[in-house]
Amino acid sequence: MGKGRSLLIVSVLSGIPAVVKLLGSLFLIWLTLDWKVRKARRAFEKELIKQGMSKQDAKRISAQYAALKDQAVNAFKRSIRVFS
Amino acid sequence: MSEKTEKKRTASEEAEEVKEILSAVSTEVPALIKSIIASVFSEEAGRNMGKAAAAFYKELKDGGMPDNVAVKMTEDYIGVFTSLGDILKGVGGKGKDWIPKEKREEFAEEIEKRIKEKIAEKRREEEEEE
Repeated sequence: MGKGRSLLIVSVLSGIPAVVKLLGSLFLIWLTLDWKVRKARRAFEKELIKQGMSKQDAKRISAQYAALKDQAVNAFKRSIRVFS
Repeated sequence: MSEKTEKKRTASEEAEEVKEILSAVSTEVPALIKSIIASVFSEEAGRNMGKAAAAFYKELKDGGMPDNVAVKMTEDYIGVFTSLGDILKGVGGKGKDWIPKEKREEFAEEIEKRIKEKIAEKRREEEEEE
């Protein structure tokens, strides 16, 4: 029984690197998300300005695009709460 | 004695499966999230969405629409995409009711079963390759 339990503990501990890898990847994704959204917004605004829209209006419209990111993040957090 | 050996084997097999499931999840979940993010929040995606909004704006202006009206309509047009977020909110907002309590265990068992099937399939493929 003792050997079986220690075997189980060792096997579970060996799963820890996978958990750490998962959390690390998710953290990195979260860190880089803002930067990616900023780049996407700039490219979005550039296209609008090319067609003659003012910079101010283009910025206002691109703010909606960034709002989508906030909603996606909130939906993801909510889905984690549902499954936990 | 054989019962003890069998229990030990079962415990170690289960632990091995947990390890494999965690390993698969730690690879697949971030890749899935990254691909979803890349399809919506990348520079290229922003550029494409900008082109669509710009084309919409240009058509309105060419049709003689005043600038402020064209801008407002373009804003509403892009707002369609953000309303998708409201839809997601509606799905997630149901929260605990989205999956009824009595179904949750069934759901979890089904997911576990499917993951085990995938792992067994992968093992078979690896054995065949060897």
